[in-house]
Amino acid sequence: MTPHDDSLAPPDTYAGQVLDAQLHLLDRQVLDTDGVPVSTLDDLEITDLPLDVSLRGTPAPTIANLLTGVTLGTRIFGGRPPSSRLTRIPWRHVTDIGVVVTLGVSGERLDATWPERWVRDHIVAHIPGGRHDPE
Amino acid sequence: MKQLLGVALGILTAIGGFLDIGDLVTSSVVGSRFGMTLVWVIVLGVIGICVFAQMSGRVAAISGRATFEIVRERLGARMAVANLGASFLINLLTLTAEIGGVALALQLASSIEPTLWVPVAAFAVWLVIWRVKFSIMENVTGLLGLCLIVFAVAVFLLQPDWATLTGQAIAPSVPATETGATYWYYAIALFGSAMTPYEVFFFSSGAVEEKWTKKDLTQSRINVLVGFPLGGILSIAIAACATIVLLPQGIQVTSLSQVALPVAEAGGKLAVAIVIVGMIAATFGATLETTLSSGYTIAQFFGWSWGKFRRPVKAARFHLVMIICLLVGIAVLATGADPVMITEYSVVFSAIALPLTYLPILLVANDKQYMGDLVNGRATNAVALVFLVIILVASLAAIPLMIITGAGA
Repeated sequence: MTPHDDSLAPPDTYAGQVLDAQLHLLDRQVLDTDGVPVSTLDDLEITDLPLDVSLRGTPAPTIANLLTGVTLGTRIFGGRPPSSRLTRIPWRHVTDIGVVVTLGVSGERLDATWPERWVRDHIVAHIPGGRHDPE
Repeated sequence: MKQLLGVALGILTAIGGFLDIGDLVTSSVVGSRFGMTLVWVIVLGVIGICVFAQMSGRVAAISGRATFEIVRERLGARMAVANLGASFLINLLTLTAEIGGVALALQLASSIEPTLWVPVAAFAVWLVIWRVKFSIMENVTGLLGLCLIVFAVAVFLLQPDWATLTGQAIAPSVPATETGATYWYYAIALFGSAMTPYEVFFFSSGAVEEKWTKKDLTQSRINVLVGFPLGGILSIAIAACATIVLLPQGIQVTSLSQVALPVAEAGGKLAVAIVIVGMIAATFGATLETTLSSGYTIAQFFGWSWGKFRRPVKAARFHLVMIICLLVGIAVLATGADPVMITEYSVVFSAIALPLTYLPILLVANDKQYMGDLVNGRATNAVALVFLVIILVASLAAIPLMIITGAGA
């Protein structure tokens, strides 16, 4: 305990359960509201802190988006894709965090699942029997 | 009564589905070169796969998460991608070996070149994956695979010298014609053939496919604890057949016809017909399992929609991955690569890859967030840790031994 540490005031309130991003969020499966897999949680985007301003008094950053897609490549091999190339799932869609992260919306209309839709519409749906239940 | 039938069906399919091309070839090769002196490895491998499969099935039933989701979540993206690379490639190698095995078995039945059978077999596998329900697929191949029981019958028909056979099995020693290094190399191969990682991908994903819950755990435990050891006995019977017939005559196992030879000698044409049906069913079933496993591992790593319980359009990328893998398998076999050789390498590489999936499952099976009260008990953990050591040693020793022995030459 250095005097410096003492000067930090404890946070006023915890909103609820404390989660460790690395432990409880990253690399977990993301399911949509119907339990259909959407993607894996490849990375998180947090809100920006203001530049050149004293941090005292500025609110802590919050999670803005779940990231997937190219982010996985850069997370493994390093680097950072331009912001325009990120595939985002807005944090406000998240309804539950447990063994999996559950969204309150259908995955069908999310940007994150476009490769799935592309493969479905251009390849799999054209093969006979692809639209039917297995018998 | 209905429940009893369900249990019986589960056990029978577990026995029939236990053997694949790896077991057929490796057990026979080992029997023809080392007699019964390596049987202890089969016993060890069967205990190992029982512990491992049971644990992954339990994790999948309780948490609903299959093996590769857990690998990704526990190891993180970077380690998991390396793991995926290794597991996927080895699974692809096994898949290729299994298609080759179907082709070899069909050659026995038809005397048409295996290379011509390969595309036919692969297409049939795809068709089943595309259209047939998971449970039907499992039950049919499992039950037909029971035909391999003729190997056990053949051992009795051959009227062997039981004292020598059991003596070799109980007090093993390296045969005079072989070196210590080759003995241990084949020990690892045999261990890898009993404990192939794809069985775990398949078993845990299958638990999700069949929507297991806590209630199904007893049934699955019985299937594993009774079915797998009985399947292991068939594996021992194959080794015994090779010991009795192939070893004294110095016959090398280079194809499935040598594997079936002792059965022909013991039971004639009828026995051969049954054994061929069993071989086709076993290799075909294993091709289905490895093909599905290739889709499972990739889809679970990336978090895609997967599973045969969904229509193909609802799991598009999963199905595309499997189609590509089958095409790669066909392409490799079209070069004229020997399926028996591919099998021999695939079982050793399987042994090398075992720790990659074993460790994450062991960790999660002890995690309360996933498992609630059903975390591993002390006894399971004790056995699991002993196996962790064995698996690590086998994995580390495999490559040096492969180099020293020239891949068991």
